Amino acid sequence: MSLFRFELRKLLLNKKTLLLLLCLFVLYSVVGLTSTMFLIGGNDSYRAYGELAAGWEGPFDSEKAAEAEKIYQEVSARYGTDARMISRSVKDQPEVILAVNYHAYTERVEEYWNGTPPESAEEPYGIALLQGKLAELERLGKQNTYDYRELSASLQRLEELGEPEFANALLWENLCGNWGEHMMQFLLFVPLTFVTAPVFAVERSSGMDNLILSSRNGRRKIVTAKLLSVLAASTVVVMLYLAATFLFGFLPHGSFHGWDAAIQSLPTYARSMFPWKVWQLAAVGAAWLIFTGAVYSLIVCFISSRMKSQMGTAGVSLAILFVNVGLAAMGDIVNQRLGALVDFGLANVTLMKEVFGGYKSFNVFGMYVSYPIMAVFVLGVVSALAVLGIYRGQKSRTVV
Amino acid sequence: MELQLEAVTKNYKSKQVLKGISLTMGAGVYGLLGPNGAGKTTLIRILADVLRPTNGRVLYDGKDIRTVGDEYRAKIGYLPQDVSFYGDFTGRDYLEYSAALKGMEKARTKKRIEELARSVGLWDDLKRKCAAYSGGMQRRLGIAQALLDDPEILILDEPTSGLDPYERIKFRNIISAYAKDRLVLLSTHIVSDVEQISAQIMMMEYGGIQHIHTGGEYVQMMEGRVWLAEMPAEQLMDYQNRAIISNVRAKDGRMEVRIISDTQPAPDAVQAVPTLEDAYLYLFNYLPGKAGR
Repeated sequence: MSLFRFELRKLLLNKKTLLLLLCLFVLYSVVGLTSTMFLIGGNDSYRAYGELAAGWEGPFDSEKAAEAEKIYQEVSARYGTDARMISRSVKDQPEVILAVNYHAYTERVEEYWNGTPPESAEEPYGIALLQGKLAELERLGKQNTYDYRELSASLQRLEELGEPEFANALLWENLCGNWGEHMMQFLLFVPLTFVTAPVFAVERSSGMDNLILSSRNGRRKIVTAKLLSVLAASTVVVMLYLAATFLFGFLPHGSFHGWDAAIQSLPTYARSMFPWKVWQLAAVGAAWLIFTGAVYSLIVCFISSRMKSQMGTAGVSLAILFVNVGLAAMGDIVNQRLGALVDFGLANVTLMKEVFGGYKSFNVFGMYVSYPIMAVFVLGVVSALAVLGIYRGQKSRTVV
Repeated sequence: MELQLEAVTKNYKSKQVLKGISLTMGAGVYGLLGPNGAGKTTLIRILADVLRPTNGRVLYDGKDIRTVGDEYRAKIGYLPQDVSFYGDFTGRDYLEYSAALKGMEKARTKKRIEELARSVGLWDDLKRKCAAYSGGMQRRLGIAQALLDDPEILILDEPTSGLDPYERIKFRNIISAYAKDRLVLLSTHIVSDVEQISAQIMMMEYGGIQHIHTGGEYVQMMEGRVWLAEMPAEQLMDYQNRAIISNVRAKDGRMEVRIISDTQPAPDAVQAVPTLEDAYLYLFNYLPGKAGR
């Protein structure tokens, strides 16, 4: 049997871990199920919503907007202005949910044309706002600056995408929420930490280091085997999460409606600059979670190679994860000051809504580089450093 | 094949555990004897390349083992002092995993596992979890692991601890048969383990190799230094604090005492046939006060 298969068995294919995976699958299924049940009432409500929404889907309609606004005003006076909270409060009233969703869509259309308020700390968005800023730069003769190029590119993308359309993509919205919001980091990355933490630390705590380090393949090939097993284990855990939340997110309503809508019809992705359909976003999101899960696992693996115990490894790894989550939650002012530390910290870079839901870009030696490309680059560098560190560490490692 | 240590030292913080050991070993069985804390395990670990010396180097056929790396480790079989296992591994899993670490081919692995498992008496237990093995069985599994790839250099740290007398003899026979054209280094504080099979016996104390001789030379060195004397039990209590005593036996209401001494310890003391154990005690000056080190 090859070293890889042994390492995989030690890490994943053993009774304890398989039991943990089973428990995780149940947990993830419950997450998928409850999130979709909170979205709208029973199957009848969803069907009724679908029938009502069928007449509202498509380009912006001011008459429908006025009608939705009226209902929204009534319902928001009672339940507040948060669309999600309203939807949860009136789960069995699909017509109200539809009005609330159309109201939110109206605001997105408004934002598409008129953009973010001038005093907003966010990056400029919206046709009129971008045009205004470009005109100002032209007046100042700054056509050759990075800012001008960035704003031009944003405007061009926005015009190409066109005005957002309304679509019934409730279940996909729920799926993207499960795959791309902070709760995922706790549900997925915490178990991932415990699955991968033993990879190197177990050899020290079990005393197997003696056998490994004195053997021909104990310095290099075993590292390759361990790294591959970590990547396989992380992929399995992420796939489990993706599969359970996908399956139990759609199963209760038995519908994939909205799969071919533009992602700009999803509230969280309204400002996305990618011309993707919802199913394409889901595919990219799944791939992104697998990728970031693998990068995180490599970081844990590196920590494991430097620690004496599995619990120590898990503790340090989780501390890094939670510090990142804490930094990202500190608000715009702190985030602006910390800049790249937050943008490429684990909390933000693992969230598909952060990476693919906006239009953030970076000035790299005067070049316009989008967030996803920069994120892939930064995570690639981090992974390469972790792998290099692990190989170097194992080469000079001794028993304690 | 030659293994050479050049002024090897090892420090743990301010404590010097190995003090500039220089040594050359060729094919044959080398016994490494010494009291607990002498530095045997540290030396063994350096030779097994799981520990790096603070100063000095180890040469394999004239090349530093750190530069030879994988090629050197491919030549060694190592049984550490404490054999460890993964909880859910069976005996066969453990040996197959060891074979994978040694880069052995599948067909050869299967053949060698069968040969060695039969040889160490574990064939019927290979499907059982290692964790359920007795101490002796775990030790025998460790020995099989060390021999798996038919290594040129076999390094064994306390290989017989936990083995019963029959298993010890069997182990000695395996090693003796194996040692031809190979280098076997056997570290222990049990004199009888090395007495029978070692061509050279190294006595180690205080981080240095103090003596290297054959077993016969050690025994010869002790000629005229081992005595048998009889004394009452009350006298023995006082006497044993002043002399090196290698054995005491009750005989007809008195005590027959085996004394190691350069001079005749008592008027009625008679000379006895020396053993390696006597030499060990003599060379390490095993007075009772020192034995508590």
